[in-house]
Amino acid sequence: MGEIVLQAKNISKHFPGVLANDHINFDLRKGEIHTLLGENGAGKTTLMNILDGIYYPDEGEIYLNGKKVDIRSPFEATKNGIGMIHQHFMLVDTLTVLENVVLGLESQGFYLDKKNISEKIAEISKNYNLDINPYAKIWQLSVGEQQRVEIIKTLFRGVKILIMDEPTAVLTPQEADSLFKILRRMIKEDKSIIFISHKLDEVMKISDRITVLRKGKLVGTVDKKEINQKELAKMMVGREVLFRLDRNPIRRKGEVLKIEDLETHNDKGIKILKGVNFSIHGGEIFGLAGVSGNGQKELAEVIVGLRRAIAGKVYIKGEEVTNLCPKAITKEGTNYIPPDRLKVGLVPNLSTVENAILRRYDREPISRGIFLNYEEAAKYTRELIKQFNIMVPRENVPVKFLSGGNLQKLILAREIREEPALLIAVHPSRGLDVGATEFIRKKLLEERDQGVAILLISEDLEELLMISDRIGVIYEGEIVGMVDIDSANINEIGLMMAGVHKNPLLKGEENVKV
Amino acid sequence: MLKFEKRENIPLHLRILIPLISILLGVLIGGIAVMFSQVNPLTVYKAIFIGAFGSTYVFSETIVVAIPLLLISVGLILVFKMNYWNIGAYGQYIMGAIFSTYFALNSAETISRPILLMVMCIAGMVGGALWALIPAALKAYWKVNEVIATLLLNYIALYILQFLMYGPWRNPRSFGFPLTKIFDLNAQLPKLISHTRIHLGLIFGIIAAIIIWIIIKKTKFGYEIRVIGENEIAARYAGINIAKNIILAMVISGGLAGLAGMAQISGIIHMLQIEINPDYGYTAIIVAWLSGLNSLTAMIVSFFLGGLFAGASQIQMTMKVPIGIVGLIESSILFFLLGGAILTNYKLNYKGRKII
Amino acid sequence: MRPDAYAITIILLAATVESGTILLFPIIGEILTERSGILNLGIEGMMIIGALVGFATAFITGQIYWAFFMGMLAGGLASLIHAFISITLRGNQVVSGLALSIFGLGVTNFYGQEFVNLQLAHTVPQVIIPGLSQIPFFGSILFKQDYMVYLSYILVIITWFILFKTKTGIQLRAVGQNAQAADAMGVNVYKVRYFWTFFGGLMAGAGGAYLTLNCAPFWLDGITAGRGWVAIALVIFARWNPPYALIGAYLFGAINALQFQLQSMGTTIPSALLSMQPYFLTFILIIVATLLVKAKHIGVPKELGIPYAREEK
Repeated sequence: MGEIVLQAKNISKHFPGVLANDHINFDLRKGEIHTLLGENGAGKTTLMNILDGIYYPDEGEIYLNGKKVDIRSPFEATKNGIGMIHQHFMLVDTLTVLENVVLGLESQGFYLDKKNISEKIAEISKNYNLDINPYAKIWQLSVGEQQRVEIIKTLFRGVKILIMDEPTAVLTPQEADSLFKILRRMIKEDKSIIFISHKLDEVMKISDRITVLRKGKLVGTVDKKEINQKELAKMMVGREVLFRLDRNPIRRKGEVLKIEDLETHNDKGIKILKGVNFSIHGGEIFGLAGVSGNGQKELAEVIVGLRRAIAGKVYIKGEEVTNLCPKAITKEGTNYIPPDRLKVGLVPNLSTVENAILRRYDREPISRGIFLNYEEAAKYTRELIKQFNIMVPRENVPVKFLSGGNLQKLILAREIREEPALLIAVHPSRGLDVGATEFIRKKLLEERDQGVAILLISEDLEELLMISDRIGVIYEGEIVGMVDIDSANINEIGLMMAGVHKNPLLKGEENVKV
Repeated sequence: MLKFEKRENIPLHLRILIPLISILLGVLIGGIAVMFSQVNPLTVYKAIFIGAFGSTYVFSETIVVAIPLLLISVGLILVFKMNYWNIGAYGQYIMGAIFSTYFALNSAETISRPILLMVMCIAGMVGGALWALIPAALKAYWKVNEVIATLLLNYIALYILQFLMYGPWRNPRSFGFPLTKIFDLNAQLPKLISHTRIHLGLIFGIIAAIIIWIIIKKTKFGYEIRVIGENEIAARYAGINIAKNIILAMVISGGLAGLAGMAQISGIIHMLQIEINPDYGYTAIIVAWLSGLNSLTAMIVSFFLGGLFAGASQIQMTMKVPIGIVGLIESSILFFLLGGAILTNYKLNYKGRKII
Repeated sequence: MRPDAYAITIILLAATVESGTILLFPIIGEILTERSGILNLGIEGMMIIGALVGFATAFITGQIYWAFFMGMLAGGLASLIHAFISITLRGNQVVSGLALSIFGLGVTNFYGQEFVNLQLAHTVPQVIIPGLSQIPFFGSILFKQDYMVYLSYILVIITWFILFKTKTGIQLRAVGQNAQAADAMGVNVYKVRYFWTFFGGLMAGAGGAYLTLNCAPFWLDGITAGRGWVAIALVIFARWNPPYALIGAYLFGAINALQFQLQSMGTTIPSALLSMQPYFLTFILIIVATLLVKAKHIGVPKELGIPYAREEK
């Protein structure tokens, strides 16, 4: 392994109310893959954003090849040979691959020499086996392809140090493997890679060294060869980790949700669901796996009435609800935990009370004629807060000041309290810490035991395997596979997510044992 | 280095201080502008102050201006809360005036005064509401940009008024001037205080302000409006009917602007003409914003801006200071207010030290 | 076609181009401003400031081109108020733009008092382009104009070129579409937005100055008469693409020229109804354009009106 190329000393960074990085030391050698491991909220991304110049540290120094540097922007980071690929790709989706690659480059003249640039892209593409059409618009590409565009961007800029923030979160296991191949190819050319992750198995697979962070503090840096997965988990969480949630045997009830040949458009007017069929019974959790962008989000939106179906039918408890308004569908007993808490599920500038009553402000006793009964509303809110252990400074504080875990608990509480027949949860634990994640999953299992039908849409295979009773895989707007949890195999699911395998047992019901 | 950092809560004192300081700075800018035209700003402001509050009569004139500002601005507050930008109070005001004039001209002899006035009020509100309904429906069903739609409708309303005044509604005995005949006493809003021009519209305004406050703070309709305004996606998620709310709120907003137009011609001008001060429709936007979208505060702000307008009208005649000074001061206040709003969300640091 | 009808058509269409040019400048400017993510509803204000400064400069110095430049610059300076509030201070862009319009109307009323009803001795001189002006029909319409009109032709081409063929254009579009990504790629979001907001101001000022230097060479209070708002409407009609701006501007110009022609010929149609037509037409256009944009999924710049701040957490 080579000499140290990058060193961060005593880095501290605080945000209002949190110390995201507390005197952290970190170094990177030439030609290594160094993983930064930690739970959500451990401060991994903050530290990397500091190396990339997005944030400026309150304290501490950064050395590049032994020389102190002052990185004030991603642009300066690039000039210093540091490139970062974020979890949310920094791509402009209305521009082409080529335009995204040259965006912000100084070396290009005023006029774009497209031919020259596309040749250079093709060369990089070939060298690393990336296979990207430079004239495609970003929104036309799959997530995996978009990630490769991000890699091309950094290679085009001659980056020596590449930071990747949870790159496999959006990939199928097979896509992840091919990414790892690309990364290995890169370190052979003396590039260094910082790999951020919280998935232990892949960390063990790809890393040379591992640095663990917990709650903004450095736990330690270890050599991969000198540690095992279990010890690593303990370092990350600070206690022994339960990899299983206790689960009662399934007691399947009558059919609650039935979807028939459902089709819909996405925001760009392209058909994204192409005839989806499945059903969910009371008392079961149906997990829907799939790489993001294959129609999961749109599927949930069609069921709850936020998006129009262009063909097909949705039934809830035997009643057809296709294209009814959201309120009518909620009345039929459907509740929804949306993927984006502050953008969809809550109103950031309104108080906890005003958010808690979003589902029942027009029902007695909170509704009183044309008026709202704020006393009843506050009473109801206090009940939710107590029942779900939500930490709220004061009831009239805008919810945007609450933490992610508490926001999700608030949504979950509000939706569960409606006593739904069908609960749709999309990425319910994304971005939450271990405690909150466990809480949310336990609550979903409780609801299942109560006889609620649950549609769980997640990109986190581990989560799906942990609490689902049955897993369906969606690929390019079709359900390409369906497996019972007892016979589920992560590799097989992965292949289905990539569209390689198709499960012959389709059209839904054959493999359901009632 | 000056840096903004996000606040964890919004301090109350800033919410009061920022508007006050904005007013002061806006007045200061106005003063500088006056200095450039070689007039002593202190003299001008003194004259404005005396012209607005210096005697019982001018004081009453300030209230006369405040009436339409209040009526319009509380309606605007309702739709602004929803993030719907009704810039069309100008046209809605004109339409209110036109609709109510129809009854003033045609029914004054046949209907008794209270009923006629009631009919005129309703006609004014209907006129304004209909004119607001057009852009509201276009937005609700086709997502047509309301800022542009309402603005263009302002010009269309103005030309409709001109058409009527130069055409069918011109009084044959007005020597060719574009005026209707003076309204019958039956069609004039009663004065509240004798020897002033303060009319019943003041009561309308105060009632409207209170009702709007109750709607926003206490009713389900107000709750839905706030949810829509703060997060339209969440509103759809909660099953709130956005189209219905846009239309209803706009009908109320336009209705109040129309009522203001009716009150102005019935209570002050006593006839229809081309110049009926529809610009109040724009000033009311400033009132709404300056009052922090609180309809009770709007009472005070209307009074303040009413005073500025009344005072400036005085000095326009006595000191030959153009009335444009009002727009200049108002917009400067608005600039400071908008810019200052950042301090309610962010702390200002200088080289790491906190300033505000 | 009878010769006099032919002549009238040419005169009308030439007037269309002139009248349309007043709008073409601000539409192009606003297209680029909005493409960068800044919504500036202050066009009416910037135009009228440009109109007064242009008129006053021409009246005092007699230098038409100098006056045009000054009017343009004044519009640009006015736009910086909006830029500061919406970019640096992250204020509400809708209200700030409205305030800018009110500001422009107020300030021109205040300082324009002494120019009211004054006339310019000379307006913008005609410059006939040899060769091109000889093209039958179109030559007399398009190439017997003045330097400002020719400038507007060039601007349409240049702005289109910049937008879609250059690095600058990629930055501009990226900033309006996804400011965070642009920032991460080293594009200075603030600088880009300031620059194009300023450019929008320059163009609005140019439109205003062209109005008082050529089409209405006198000064009246509120002389822009809502053209700024029409320009904003026509940006949507143009779908944020400069060549389409040409169509929108000339459509408005044609209706305007036609209603003037009818009024001067002494038609029996009431003049108020004629004067209303350009606004009415724009109103219809904006509805049609909105429906088209929706049907074809041609989006507004995604971050239009949304302020950008880097260190959010």
